[in-house]
Amino acid sequence: MGGYVVRRLLSVALVVFATSLLIFAIVHILPGNVAYAILGEYATPSAVATLQQRLGLDDPLWLQYWRWLHGVLRGDLGPSLVMDRPAGPLILEALGRSAILASIAFAIVAGGGIALGVHAATHQGRISDRVMTLAQFVFIAVPDFFWAILGVMAFAAGLDWLPATGYAPWGDGALAWASHLVLPVTVLSIGLLAHVSRLSRAAMLEALRSRYVLMARAKGMSERRVLWRHAAPNAMLPTITILAIDFGLLIGGVVVVETVFAYPGLGRLLVFAIEHRDLPLLQAGMLVLTTIYALANLAADIGYAVLNPRIRYGAAA
Amino acid sequence: MAEAGRSVEGGSVEGGSVEGLSVEGLSVGFAGVRGRVQALDGVDFAVPPGGTLGLVGESGSGKSTALLALLGLLGRAEVAARRMAFGGADLLTTAPALRGRQISAVFQDPASALNPALTVGLQVAEPLLVHARLPRAEAWAEAAALLAETGLPRPAALMECYPHQLSGGMKQRVAIAMALAGRPELLLLDEPTTALDVTVEAGILDLLDGLRARRGLSLLLVSHNLGIVDRLCDRVTVLYAGRVMETGPVREVLGRPRHPYSRGLLAALPRIGRRDGLAPIPGALPDMTRPDPGCNFRPRCPFAASACALPQALAPAGLDRTVRCHRAGELAHHRWPAPPPTPAAPPAGATLMATEGLARRFATMQAVDQVSLAVRRGEVLGLVGESGCGKTTLGRLMLRLAASDSGTLRFDGAMVPPAPSLAFRRRAQIVFQNPDTALNPRHTVATILRRPLDRFGLAGGNAADEIARLLALVRLPASYAGRYPHQLSGGEKQRVGIARALASRPDFIVCDEAVSALDASVQAAVLNLLAELRARLGLAMLFISHDIAVIAHLADRVAVMYGGQIMEEGPVASVLAPPHHPYTAALLSAVPEVGGRRARHVLPGDAGAVHGGRGCRFALRCPQRIGPLCTDADPPWRDAGPGHRIRCHIPIAPDRRVPR
Repeated sequence: MGGYVVRRLLSVALVVFATSLLIFAIVHILPGNVAYAILGEYATPSAVATLQQRLGLDDPLWLQYWRWLHGVLRGDLGPSLVMDRPAGPLILEALGRSAILASIAFAIVAGGGIALGVHAATHQGRISDRVMTLAQFVFIAVPDFFWAILGVMAFAAGLDWLPATGYAPWGDGALAWASHLVLPVTVLSIGLLAHVSRLSRAAMLEALRSRYVLMARAKGMSERRVLWRHAAPNAMLPTITILAIDFGLLIGGVVVVETVFAYPGLGRLLVFAIEHRDLPLLQAGMLVLTTIYALANLAADIGYAVLNPRIRYGAAA
Repeated sequence: MAEAGRSVEGGSVEGGSVEGLSVEGLSVGFAGVRGRVQALDGVDFAVPPGGTLGLVGESGSGKSTALLALLGLLGRAEVAARRMAFGGADLLTTAPALRGRQISAVFQDPASALNPALTVGLQVAEPLLVHARLPRAEAWAEAAALLAETGLPRPAALMECYPHQLSGGMKQRVAIAMALAGRPELLLLDEPTTALDVTVEAGILDLLDGLRARRGLSLLLVSHNLGIVDRLCDRVTVLYAGRVMETGPVREVLGRPRHPYSRGLLAALPRIGRRDGLAPIPGALPDMTRPDPGCNFRPRCPFAASACALPQALAPAGLDRTVRCHRAGELAHHRWPAPPPTPAAPPAGATLMATEGLARRFATMQAVDQVSLAVRRGEVLGLVGESGCGKTTLGRLMLRLAASDSGTLRFDGAMVPPAPSLAFRRRAQIVFQNPDTALNPRHTVATILRRPLDRFGLAGGNAADEIARLLALVRLPASYAGRYPHQLSGGEKQRVGIARALASRPDFIVCDEAVSALDASVQAAVLNLLAELRARLGLAMLFISHDIAVIAHLADRVAVMYGGQIMEEGPVASVLAPPHHPYTAALLSAVPEVGGRRARHVLPGDAGAVHGGRGCRFALRCPQRIGPLCTDADPPWRDAGPGHRIRCHIPIAPDRRVPR
């Protein structure tokens, strides 16, 4: 197991390195010139040239990449050119707010999705299962931003129960803090919740039809024990894989939701960086985001191994 | 054993199980797509305390349904019975309280019956923790003792293992230990050895026999295999399409069957040392959504008369026997109709396919290890061996469907290169084991048969005629061309598989377990078909099977494989008679046969253990090992008669040459 974790960690490091190359390449393909972006449209060519030289934009790409990588390895994510501040603290602050949003949403998706899936599987064909199936299809098919707009129209503009946009720090009081989170979290989690509950229902049904479940029943085990001790550990395996994939979708969703609700998180920071051609900030933000995604996958792989003895102990002895 | 003694006492004192299991008029109905399926229709059977009953019949007979009905595990099915009781308790109402305690079960295919996510220890100890409420340490100790009782080595270490770390035979022993943990009086066994090799199966049957004697267990064995029922049971009940056809002592029923269906089942069974044609039962299972008020075997019965349309009662027929057939008495002296004689095979010609030192390695396993074999024109070479011995890989190497690491392949005198020509592909074909997965479910039979015709440019302008010819060749109606695989029965699918192999008019086909997935009555028909095709078309075959009785029936010569190597090879009659290679002797002794109980050769070592490097591959399991020579030096080929050779260090004494 220890060896397995070390191997997986090494491969995560490799993936992050490869994505850093990719991010760097993509950012340098984007149109636009940082110097112009900083100095404004009417800058003289000589001022632009001076600034480009100062920022090292004239150097060969590999040297620029090396400089960036070297900085990142020492913990320096580079500057934000537009805001004229180091990118690191900026990203960290935004990341904290995004993490609140994402972790609440993910907890709802994982916990709620599995609970709803198990309920549907054990009540297959009954009213609650059928209603859920219908709702799941609606929430999977209709895109997030539709629910975002609908939510704002109904609960903010119409009923005035919730704020439409923005963020309130904890210091403003728990109620203000929570009220700003309700709509973004709901919109972020609802589609994925439908997805996860759909798939965990299928996984649970398959486990319940298996011969080892028949065996457990023949052993006289109670239905509750059959469900949670015998079926659930096997049904969770495919669900964990799905959760890891959905975590990626969740990160994508964060960018959309933060933009719609003007929530000051990492997603909105990235959109800001793109709009203002703040390439170093964009680079740093994307690197942080992909690293988080790689680590989430690592967590899923380890979780999978913990539940699946075939991976933990290798092949047949 | 103290444990065993306590169970016996407990059974007779508190359980009051003097009555044992008694089932009368058990009926089970399912809601199916085409209406209500009457899976069981008034079934009676009984197991006295300490007795063993075999419930036999082909797929669809309802034997597993009966077993699940006893456990109360049929879900939404309608279960009704005049009486279904165990030890005086009504199972219709109390089954949930009895299952896992007084009544335990062991199911087919231990690979899927054990939970892959839980340790062996937890699964065996679970009934002790939950039902007997033992503290963990005590439950663990008793579970380990149960593993030891089922003949598993190092039980303490085994407790920490997960099922995927064990072999098939070990898993089934764990499943039996798990069933014993509930301290049952009655053990229900659903095809307990069907997924296992014969030598492993023999060990499990010995174990069950021993448990029965030691613990005074009653056994209810559900099986399609008449041989193991004969080996393990006192009494047998024959089921057909949800009804009991015949019940009685096992020797009587299997020795002198009275009901036409039981007689048909036995006539269809290939047996070692019998070469006459097998008699398949014509037709298929009746429509179980509309139960026939008369005899439901009538449409398939060669003795059917007009009175068979009337309801048939289970009537006494001799001591302790009942038969559901009003003609059983008068038919006693009528013979079961003999099958049409198989045309005599033409004498085998020159060598068609020959391998020389063929080898293939997968990761750490030498699947095929320096095999040199030859098949002559028009000859059937049987290849027998247990799972993992490399027989399937060898078949694929001979068709160049898998690449060999070394060795050569000659076909019709010419070398076959690693990437063979289209001409070789046309002349050498294959029939797979599982007809359910070997036919594309989205193609019609016509499309399936047309593919090879187009590929090899054989159809000309007349593909439809050629498809009709192929269907006639495998005895299927021409109208089947428009059907999809799911509209065919198992036997029909395998006929399509054979027709597809024959489409390119090959000279050589590999049949890889081609009849293993079929019921006995259908298997007999497919075997007869293969024998006939071989005689009419002069086909050469490599017939791969784990079932030595099937090979003994069809093949001219047989090769016995172990650990990737050929151990013995020769004409069938000669290989089946002494002298034997020790492995062949063990295989033959393990085959459960109706009416014949041979002295068993118990093999030492772990199932399938192969001695690598120099020496004999079988040395680790050989009961006749003569010393370090067996593991240190490659065994020589010894001549054991005309065309018969044995690879063994043990010399063949002159008196052993004489077949008995």
